[in-house]
Amino acid sequence: MIEFLASRLYYLVSFLLLGVGTYMMVGNANLVKKVIGMNVFQTGIFLFFIVSAFVSGGSPPLLTAPEPYVSPLPHVLILTAIVVGVSLTAVALGLIVRIYEEYGTLNENAIRKVISDE
Amino acid sequence: MSELPPFLVAVPLLGSVLALLAGLARSRTGWAVAAVTAVLQTALAVVLAVRAFSGDPIRYVVGGFTAPFGIELVIDGLSATMAVLVAVVALGVLGYARVAGPRSNAFYATYLLLVAGLSGMSITGDVFNMYVFLEITGLAAYALVASGESGRSARAALKYLLVGTVGASLFLLGIGFAYVATGTLNMADLSGQLAEVGHGSPLVQASFALLAVGLFVKIAVFPIHTWQPAAYAGAPDSVSALISALVSTIAAYALIRIVFTVFTVDFLVANSFARTLLIAAAIVSIVVGSVLAVTQQEIKRMLAYSSVSQFGLVVGAVAVANGTALTGAVIHLVGHAIMKGGLFLTTGLVANVADARTVDDYRGLAERFPVGSVAFGVLALAMVGVPPAVGFVGKWYIALGAVEAGAWPLVVVILVSTLLTLAYFAQVIERIFFRESDAASAASAETTTDETLFTDGNGADTDRPSVSFGMRATVLLAAVLAVALGVAAFEYGQLLQPTIERLLV
Amino acid sequence: MTEVASLRPIAAVLVSAIAIVPILASAGRPNLREGWTVLAAVVKLGVIASMVPGVLGGTVYVTELGTFLPGIQFTLRADPLGILFGLLASLLWLVTSFYSVGYMRGLSEHGQSRYFAAFAGSVSAAIGIAFSANLLVLFVFYELLTVATYPLVTHDETPEARAAGRKYLAYTFGGGVAVLSGTILVFWMTGMGTTAFTPGGIDQLASADPVFARAAFALLATGFGVKAALMPLHSWLPDAMVAPTPVSGLLHAVAVVKSGVFGIARVVLDVYGPGLIADLGLGVLLASVAAFTLVVASLIALRQDNLKRRLAFSTVSQLSYIVLGLAVLNPMSITGALLHIPAHAFMKLTLFFCAGAIHVETHTDDISNMAGIGKRMPLTMAAFGVASLGMAGIPLVAGFVSKYFLLIGTVSAGDIVFTVALLVSGVLNIAYFWPVVYAAFFESPGETDRKPVIENVLGGRFSERSPSAATDGGTDRTDDGSAPADVDSDDHGYAADHEGQGMKDRAEAAAHIRTEHGDDASPAWEHRRWNGDESTWFMLGPILFAMVGSIVLGIVPDTAVFLRIVRLIVEGVTGVAI
Repeated sequence: MIEFLASRLYYLVSFLLLGVGTYMMVGNANLVKKVIGMNVFQTGIFLFFIVSAFVSGGSPPLLTAPEPYVSPLPHVLILTAIVVGVSLTAVALGLIVRIYEEYGTLNENAIRKVISDE
Repeated sequence: MSELPPFLVAVPLLGSVLALLAGLARSRTGWAVAAVTAVLQTALAVVLAVRAFSGDPIRYVVGGFTAPFGIELVIDGLSATMAVLVAVVALGVLGYARVAGPRSNAFYATYLLLVAGLSGMSITGDVFNMYVFLEITGLAAYALVASGESGRSARAALKYLLVGTVGASLFLLGIGFAYVATGTLNMADLSGQLAEVGHGSPLVQASFALLAVGLFVKIAVFPIHTWQPAAYAGAPDSVSALISALVSTIAAYALIRIVFTVFTVDFLVANSFARTLLIAAAIVSIVVGSVLAVTQQEIKRMLAYSSVSQFGLVVGAVAVANGTALTGAVIHLVGHAIMKGGLFLTTGLVANVADARTVDDYRGLAERFPVGSVAFGVLALAMVGVPPAVGFVGKWYIALGAVEAGAWPLVVVILVSTLLTLAYFAQVIERIFFRESDAASAASAETTTDETLFTDGNGADTDRPSVSFGMRATVLLAAVLAVALGVAAFEYGQLLQPTIERLLV
Repeated sequence: MTEVASLRPIAAVLVSAIAIVPILASAGRPNLREGWTVLAAVVKLGVIASMVPGVLGGTVYVTELGTFLPGIQFTLRADPLGILFGLLASLLWLVTSFYSVGYMRGLSEHGQSRYFAAFAGSVSAAIGIAFSANLLVLFVFYELLTVATYPLVTHDETPEARAAGRKYLAYTFGGGVAVLSGTILVFWMTGMGTTAFTPGGIDQLASADPVFARAAFALLATGFGVKAALMPLHSWLPDAMVAPTPVSGLLHAVAVVKSGVFGIARVVLDVYGPGLIADLGLGVLLASVAAFTLVVASLIALRQDNLKRRLAFSTVSQLSYIVLGLAVLNPMSITGALLHIPAHAFMKLTLFFCAGAIHVETHTDDISNMAGIGKRMPLTMAAFGVASLGMAGIPLVAGFVSKYFLLIGTVSAGDIVFTVALLVSGVLNIAYFWPVVYAAFFESPGETDRKPVIENVLGGRFSERSPSAATDGGTDRTDDGSAPADVDSDDHGYAADHEGQGMKDRAEAAAHIRTEHGDDASPAWEHRRWNGDESTWFMLGPILFAMVGSIVLGIVPDTAVFLRIVRLIVEGVTGVAI
């Protein structure tokens, strides 16, 4: 069992990150921390992809390097996904700035209170 | 001419950049740029649709690679339908937004970005590419929702962003599983490879579950619909109309693609859990969505929950997985887009003309604003499924398909959904036509006889300057389309037949 | 039977639908607006009447509008059964149009344009139901009829009217769902082949799985049973009586409820066919429901004090005569059932028109207030008398002929129980109609007999509330004015201003009347002569027309074209010439 897990340690870690990210998004009232949670969540998935590309004893996918190569495709994909993730974070932070200007707080519960007081 | 497909994405993208640049030179030029782009886009989509319907699917590989390696664009009848729908609705909403706003160039740049993302999702034949377009769509939609001025818009957008990103990420994770299992990302290629790996393989099953749940978030299936009411209610009227008509629709289209093109019917047959997942999601969505809709006070939130319920029908049709039901699903997608988009536009119009936003505000609306009242009435009844409007036709196909498949619980829920839909629309219709508004009832309590006797029909249609002819025309057009499409649906179903058959192989 | 392609069926449907536009457009000019209504009604009747000779000669007029859904054509066919209902509805629409003018103007009602427009739409949908060539087209018009009649039910815009409207929508759309489910099942059982009406039944159904065949029949019968007011699905109908009386007259005695009955007729005769229904053992079941309904509804009618509610329960009961006749599956009983469609329409329309005229002229709604009203409205009450005799099945009036066929049919089918039910209900008919006529002509406001059936607590426990249940109120009532109001409003469910127009307690009621309703209803009815000065001819004309119609149907049913059409239908379905 332990051996089985050890051989899949990377997968385990990426799913652990998913869990951590989800918890931060759900359990934290601070909006910025929610966005950080979202980033952690995404990173978990990115790592999952990268791990899947790994070939035991493989070399970087360069024509000059000897075979076997690790799969290049996931790396390319994740580059794209990271770009998407960064833009998402940017939009999210932009929104948070607006919310902060409007309500003067980043705490979700406090915002709810502000609204119900109005 | 075979170089056309990529332009379906490129045109709105270029338009988007152009709108942004034009904004640097002169403000308020965005609408013109967007209108020209949307017209062009519509023409392009129609040309491609004609070709797609008249023969085999159009295939195009981007960047000169060959099929399984390069990104492939595939336009069959289904994609063509969605591309046309996106273009037409975008054009229609523009007709509304010219006066209603928002008017900044940044808004129109985002608007066109959304169109680009949606068009891309419609025509791509590559799952990872679909993820990218899904995120582009999402990004643009978050930004559009936030284009409202209040803090409420920003909060709704952030909620939408967080939930939507999780959905898209799950989708990505599903792609990862599929990739690990097969080593390919091309949809056509995947379907063959997945079958080789075996539909019973846990990797394949996990991949399906993740993809489906990821799309459920985007479609807003109960219980992961929570972003939707906030987003629709918080966004400006034109934006609610656009995203309610298109974003969930294209996500549902993506579900059809993933289930039938990538995983195929064989997978559903081999894995009863997959079908159960879909049917359960459908039933719960239909019922709970309607119940929540009944309890809403704000019209836009009510309509949002109505979407939750209506998309339950589509998911149900996917679960049934036969030709009849799938035809119904596509017809209902198109019909729902027109009806719901039209309803949101009407809501916006009513808010402008009569300053009414809640169910109770709608009392006596028929007197104050007959055009909007009639449009709302027609669209609502079409949504309920009064024949021969399009809402009925879609429901007929889906229910018939479910009967063919012997999915009796689903049949019952689909048929009863008519009554559930009626439950929330009837209360509004009753208030519009058969109640007097507070002001009017106070005034007319004493004046009864001759004065009010023959004046009905010439009700004071208080024109405010902010309501343009374009806004009215768009709303009425939507109402007419909702009925006309129902009559045309059979012909369309026939056209779609070859596409559906290919999907179900 | 030859089929002829013709645009006449679609024209008949569309005429009044198109008329909605000019009706709404000329909202500000009532005379022009009513002109459009009458014009549309005349054209519609003309178009339909022009098809009658052909149909009697064995021709079926068909309009094909292309395919609506896979395997289902959107086709309109004017076959004998369709013509029967279409001719009836269009003829009575013309009559009702004139009556509506008198009624709506007499009451200075609001929203008249909406009223006339919705009325025209309803009739379009009803004709569409008549000429539908298959179940799905029938369903389309069935739903449209619901939508078009909703504004009429809710017309008053009072809380009761809205509640009635909600109930109406819930019941009828619920019925619509059942019809749709049944249609889907039938379509599926025929192998996605057809739902087209075929006299004698669709062949493929005979070989279908009996379980599904029964389920589909149950769904269809339930769905149509809602509009046909079969118990226990009837309760929307009495509530819908808050609508203006012409609506109650044409729609809730002719078009809407008959569309439900008509749907059942289509299902029994043209979808399943009497043979298959008998094989599946469904006839007795449906007949039992109908027999139960017709007896119980008659009993309930006995206790209704509000005239329109009494008529509504009478309608519930009479509709079940038709359903019963169809369900007995005997050629004779089917003849009687189909003939009862026009017969009941003419008689009930007369009755409703009378009730409406009384309401317009004297604002009297409750039977207990109508003592002596024959003096005020002699022609109206005479017509009422004739029609109620017909309802009870007295010879020389329409009801006799159809009931005769029904009785013969049930006897020859060997279902004596149903014969007994019909006879019992006939007696009850007299019991609940005669008091109205009696009160109108042989009582006066000052001198009335006791009406224990209405006034006493149900079950005879009258010790608790009023020790003496005398019609003059007794001591208890004058002491405590609110008590009787409580009792009465429980009975008929109407708002407080619906009572008190009356004369059961002279002093109290008179004061009440003067403030609310003017001098018209002063304690002693004023005398009007028999020359029509009791009301406007807009109302009297239709009343007399409908009354004469029911007598003609009763004396020379063959000359009045309806019986000939019915014979044709029955021969087409069963092969037996009556």
